[in-house]
Amino acid sequence: MNPFGLTLGVATLVIIGLGFVWVVRGERYFGYLWWPYVMAAGALIVLGSLFAASDWASALLGALGASLIWGSTELKEQAVRAELGWFPFRAEKIRPPLAGVIAKWRAPHL
Amino acid sequence: MNPLGLVTALSAFAGIWLGHVGVREIERRAVRLGPPILGALALGLGLEILSLLATRRTLSAAAGVLGVTLLWDALEFVRQEKRVRHGHAPANPANPRHARILREHPAATTLDLLAREPVGRPVSPEEAAALVQPKGERP
Repeated sequence: MNPFGLTLGVATLVIIGLGFVWVVRGERYFGYLWWPYVMAAGALIVLGSLFAASDWASALLGALGASLIWGSTELKEQAVRAELGWFPFRAEKIRPPLAGVIAKWRAPHL
Repeated sequence: MNPLGLVTALSAFAGIWLGHVGVREIERRAVRLGPPILGALALGLGLEILSLLATRRTLSAAAGVLGVTLLWDALEFVRQEKRVRHGHAPANPANPRHARILREHPAATTLDLLAREPVGRPVSPEEAAALVQPKGERP
Protein backbone atom coordinates (compact mmCIF):
# COMPACT_ATOMS: atom_id res chain seq x y z
CA MET A 1 0.00 0.00 0.00
CA ASN A 2 1.28 3.44 -0.98
CA PRO A 3 -0.41 6.19 1.08
CA PHE A 4 1.52 9.00 -0.69
CA GLY A 5 -1.20 9.93 -3.21
CA LEU A 6 -4.12 9.77 -0.75
CA THR A 7 -2.28 11.90 1.82
CA LEU A 8 -1.22 14.35 -0.90
CA GLY A 9 -4.83 14.47 -2.17
CA VAL A 10 -6.11 15.46 1.28
CA ALA A 11 -3.32 18.07 1.63
CA THR A 12 -4.20 19.46 -1.82
CA LEU A 13 -7.88 19.69 -0.83
CA VAL A 14 -6.86 21.74 2.24
CA ILE A 15 -4.70 24.03 0.03
CA ILE A 16 -7.62 24.48 -2.42
CA GLY A 17 -9.96 25.17 0.53
CA LEU A 18 -7.60 27.86 1.81
CA GLY A 19 -7.67 29.24 -1.75
CA PHE A 20 -11.34 30.17 -1.29
CA VAL A 21 -10.40 32.15 1.84
CA TRP A 22 -7.55 34.16 0.29
CA VAL A 23 -9.55 34.84 -2.91
CA VAL A 24 -12.40 36.37 -0.86
CA ARG A 25 -10.09 38.36 1.46
CA GLY A 26 -7.59 39.26 -1.25
CA GLU A 27 -10.23 40.64 -3.60
CA ARG A 28 -11.82 42.63 -0.77
CA TYR A 29 -8.62 44.49 0.16
CA PHE A 30 -6.54 44.38 -3.04
CA GLY A 31 -9.10 44.03 -5.87
CA TYR A 32 -9.15 41.70 -8.87
CA LEU A 33 -6.55 43.63 -10.90
CA TRP A 34 -3.77 41.74 -9.10
CA TRP A 35 -4.67 38.60 -11.12
CA PRO A 36 -1.60 38.64 -13.48
CA TYR A 37 0.78 38.88 -10.49
CA VAL A 38 -0.99 36.03 -8.66
CA MET A 39 -0.96 33.91 -11.83
CA ALA A 40 2.75 34.59 -12.40
CA ALA A 41 3.52 33.74 -8.74
CA GLY A 42 1.64 30.43 -9.15
CA ALA A 43 3.53 29.59 -12.37
CA LEU A 44 6.88 30.42 -10.71
CA ILE A 45 6.06 28.22 -7.71
CA VAL A 46 5.18 25.29 -10.04
CA LEU A 47 8.46 25.93 -11.90
CA GLY A 48 10.33 26.02 -8.57
CA SER A 49 8.79 22.69 -7.58
CA LEU A 50 10.81 21.05 -10.38
CA PHE A 51 13.99 21.85 -8.45
CA ALA A 52 12.87 20.66 -5.00
CA ALA A 53 14.95 17.73 -3.75
CA SER A 54 12.19 16.34 -1.52
CA ASP A 55 9.19 14.65 -3.17
CA TRP A 56 6.84 16.09 -0.54
CA ALA A 57 8.17 19.62 -0.98
CA SER A 58 7.88 19.35 -4.77
CA ALA A 59 4.31 17.98 -4.63
CA LEU A 60 3.09 20.56 -2.09
CA LEU A 61 4.68 23.41 -4.07
CA GLY A 62 2.91 22.07 -7.17
CA ALA A 63 -0.45 22.05 -5.37
CA LEU A 64 0.16 25.56 -4.00
CA GLY A 65 1.14 26.87 -7.45
CA ALA A 66 -1.95 25.34 -9.09
CA SER A 67 -4.14 26.81 -6.34
CA LEU A 68 -2.66 30.29 -6.96
CA ILE A 69 -3.19 29.99 -10.74
CA TRP A 70 -6.80 28.90 -10.15
CA GLY A 71 -7.31 31.71 -7.62
CA SER A 72 -6.07 34.29 -10.13
CA THR A 73 -8.91 33.21 -12.45
CA GLU A 74 -11.47 33.53 -9.61
CA LEU A 75 -10.67 37.12 -8.58
CA LYS A 76 -12.82 38.78 -11.25
CA GLU A 77 -15.93 36.72 -10.43
CA GLN A 78 -15.31 37.38 -6.73
CA ALA A 79 -15.29 41.14 -7.46
CA VAL A 80 -18.70 40.75 -9.15
CA ARG A 81 -20.02 38.67 -6.21
CA ALA A 82 -19.05 41.48 -3.83
CA GLU A 83 -20.76 44.07 -6.07
CA LEU A 84 -23.91 41.92 -5.96
CA GLY A 85 -23.85 41.94 -2.14
CA TRP A 86 -23.13 38.21 -1.81
CA PHE A 87 -19.91 39.15 0.05
CA PRO A 88 -18.94 42.36 1.87
CA PHE A 89 -17.97 45.12 -0.59
CA ARG A 90 -15.01 47.44 0.08
CA ALA A 91 -14.54 50.33 -2.34
CA GLU A 92 -10.97 51.25 -1.32
CA LYS A 93 -8.53 48.79 -2.86
CA ILE A 94 -4.73 48.63 -2.80
CA ARG A 95 -4.11 48.84 -6.54
CA PRO A 96 -1.32 46.85 -8.21
CA PRO A 97 1.51 48.33 -10.28
CA LEU A 98 0.31 48.97 -13.88
CA ALA A 99 -3.35 48.78 -12.77
CA GLY A 100 -4.42 51.03 -15.66
CA VAL A 101 -2.87 48.68 -18.22
CA ILE A 102 -4.22 45.51 -16.54
CA ALA A 103 -7.74 47.00 -16.42
CA LYS A 104 -7.76 46.97 -20.24
CA TRP A 105 -7.01 43.23 -20.35
CA ARG A 106 -9.78 40.64 -20.17
CA ALA A 107 -9.36 38.83 -16.83
CA PRO A 108 -9.51 35.04 -17.30
CA HIS A 109 -11.98 32.79 -15.49
CA LEU A 110 -12.79 29.09 -15.59
CA MET B 1 14.52 17.77 -11.92
CA ASN B 2 11.63 16.53 -9.77
CA PRO B 3 8.42 16.08 -11.84
CA LEU B 4 6.16 15.41 -8.81
CA GLY B 5 5.27 19.08 -8.35
CA LEU B 6 4.27 19.50 -11.98
CA VAL B 7 2.22 16.27 -11.91
CA THR B 8 0.49 17.43 -8.71
CA ALA B 9 -0.14 20.90 -10.16
CA LEU B 10 -1.67 19.49 -13.36
CA SER B 11 -3.82 17.01 -11.38
CA ALA B 12 -4.95 19.73 -8.95
CA PHE B 13 -5.80 22.11 -11.79
CA ALA B 14 -7.67 19.35 -13.69
CA GLY B 15 -9.55 18.51 -10.47
CA ILE B 16 -10.46 22.16 -9.84
CA TRP B 17 -11.53 22.57 -13.48
CA LEU B 18 -13.74 19.46 -13.24
CA GLY B 19 -15.17 20.74 -9.96
CA HIS B 20 -16.03 24.10 -11.47
CA VAL B 21 -16.93 23.68 -15.12
CA GLY B 22 -17.87 19.98 -15.03
CA VAL B 23 -20.11 20.12 -11.96
CA ARG B 24 -21.77 23.31 -13.24
CA GLU B 25 -22.60 21.79 -16.64
CA ILE B 26 -23.69 18.36 -15.35
CA GLU B 27 -25.85 19.85 -12.57
CA ARG B 28 -27.49 22.12 -15.17
CA ARG B 29 -28.43 19.21 -17.44
CA ALA B 30 -29.08 16.32 -14.99
CA VAL B 31 -32.77 15.69 -14.30
CA ARG B 32 -31.81 13.76 -11.14
CA LEU B 33 -28.67 14.47 -9.09
CA GLY B 34 -28.29 10.91 -7.75
CA PRO B 35 -26.51 9.38 -10.78
CA PRO B 36 -23.82 12.10 -11.14
CA ILE B 37 -23.20 12.08 -7.36
CA LEU B 38 -22.80 8.28 -7.36
CA GLY B 39 -20.60 8.52 -10.49
CA ALA B 40 -18.26 11.05 -8.84
CA LEU B 41 -18.10 8.93 -5.67
CA ALA B 42 -17.33 5.74 -7.63
CA LEU B 43 -14.70 7.41 -9.82
CA GLY B 44 -13.13 9.14 -6.81
CA LEU B 45 -12.96 5.93 -4.78
CA GLY B 46 -11.57 4.02 -7.79
CA LEU B 47 -8.80 6.60 -8.22
CA GLU B 48 -7.95 6.45 -4.51
CA ILE B 49 -7.65 2.64 -4.69
CA LEU B 50 -5.39 3.04 -7.76
CA SER B 51 -3.36 5.62 -5.83
CA LEU B 52 -2.90 3.23 -2.88
CA LEU B 53 -1.85 0.37 -5.16
CA ALA B 54 0.47 2.39 -7.41
CA THR B 55 4.18 1.73 -6.94
CA ARG B 56 5.28 4.90 -8.78
CA ARG B 57 4.90 8.11 -6.77
CA THR B 58 3.89 10.18 -9.83
CA LEU B 59 0.92 7.87 -10.58
CA SER B 60 0.01 7.69 -6.89
CA ALA B 61 0.08 11.52 -6.67
CA ALA B 62 -1.99 12.10 -9.83
CA ALA B 63 -4.63 9.50 -8.87
CA GLY B 64 -4.69 10.63 -5.23
CA VAL B 65 -5.22 14.31 -6.02
CA LEU B 66 -7.79 13.72 -8.78
CA GLY B 67 -9.61 11.15 -6.64
CA VAL B 68 -9.99 13.44 -3.63
CA THR B 69 -11.22 16.35 -5.78
CA LEU B 70 -13.78 14.04 -7.44
CA LEU B 71 -15.00 12.90 -4.00
CA TRP B 72 -15.44 16.58 -3.10
CA ASP B 73 -17.30 17.12 -6.40
CA ALA B 74 -19.98 14.67 -5.21
CA LEU B 75 -20.78 17.23 -2.49
CA GLU B 76 -20.42 20.12 -4.94
CA PHE B 77 -23.45 18.85 -6.95
CA VAL B 78 -25.62 19.50 -3.88
CA ARG B 79 -23.97 22.89 -3.23
CA GLN B 80 -24.46 23.88 -6.89
CA GLU B 81 -28.20 23.14 -6.67
CA LYS B 82 -28.34 25.41 -3.59
CA ARG B 83 -26.63 28.19 -5.62
CA VAL B 84 -29.32 27.80 -8.31
CA ARG B 85 -32.06 28.12 -5.64
CA HIS B 86 -30.48 31.35 -4.34
CA GLY B 87 -29.98 32.81 -7.82
CA HIS B 88 -26.18 32.56 -7.47
CA ALA B 89 -26.04 30.27 -10.52
CA PRO B 90 -28.38 30.32 -13.54
CA ALA B 91 -31.28 27.87 -13.67
CA ASN B 92 -31.95 25.88 -16.84
CA PRO B 93 -35.73 26.10 -17.54
CA ALA B 94 -35.46 23.13 -19.96
CA ASN B 95 -34.47 20.90 -17.02
CA PRO B 96 -37.64 19.85 -15.07
CA ARG B 97 -35.71 19.92 -11.75
CA HIS B 98 -34.59 23.49 -12.40
CA ALA B 99 -38.05 24.47 -13.71
CA ARG B 100 -39.47 23.40 -10.33
CA ILE B 101 -36.76 25.43 -8.53
CA LEU B 102 -37.73 28.47 -10.64
CA ARG B 103 -41.38 28.02 -9.61
CA GLU B 104 -40.70 27.46 -5.89
CA HIS B 105 -37.77 29.83 -5.17
CA PRO B 106 -38.34 33.53 -5.94
CA ALA B 107 -34.58 34.29 -5.91
CA ALA B 108 -33.86 31.70 -8.65
CA THR B 109 -33.15 33.15 -12.08
CA THR B 110 -32.12 32.05 -15.55
CA LEU B 111 -29.56 34.88 -15.70
CA ASP B 112 -25.87 34.25 -15.02
CA LEU B 113 -25.30 37.30 -12.81
CA LEU B 114 -21.53 36.69 -12.74
CA ALA B 115 -21.09 36.83 -16.53
CA ARG B 116 -19.87 40.42 -16.73
CA GLU B 117 -16.93 42.68 -15.93
CA PRO B 118 -16.78 44.32 -12.47
CA VAL B 119 -17.98 47.95 -12.34
CA GLY B 120 -16.25 48.91 -9.06
CA ARG B 121 -19.37 49.71 -6.99
CA PRO B 122 -22.31 47.87 -5.42
CA VAL B 123 -25.17 47.22 -7.87
CA SER B 124 -28.89 46.78 -7.20
CA PRO B 125 -30.65 43.53 -8.26
CA GLU B 126 -32.31 45.40 -11.16
CA GLU B 127 -29.00 46.84 -12.40
CA ALA B 128 -27.30 43.46 -11.92
CA ALA B 129 -29.90 41.85 -14.22
CA ALA B 130 -29.60 44.65 -16.80
CA LEU B 131 -25.79 44.36 -16.84
CA VAL B 132 -25.85 40.71 -17.94
CA GLN B 133 -28.77 40.82 -20.40
CA PRO B 134 -27.97 41.11 -24.11
CA LYS B 135 -28.37 44.72 -25.33
CA GLY B 136 -31.55 43.97 -27.34
CA GLU B 137 -33.27 42.48 -24.28
CA ARG B 138 -32.38 45.25 -21.80
CA PRO B 139 -35.36 47.15 -20.40
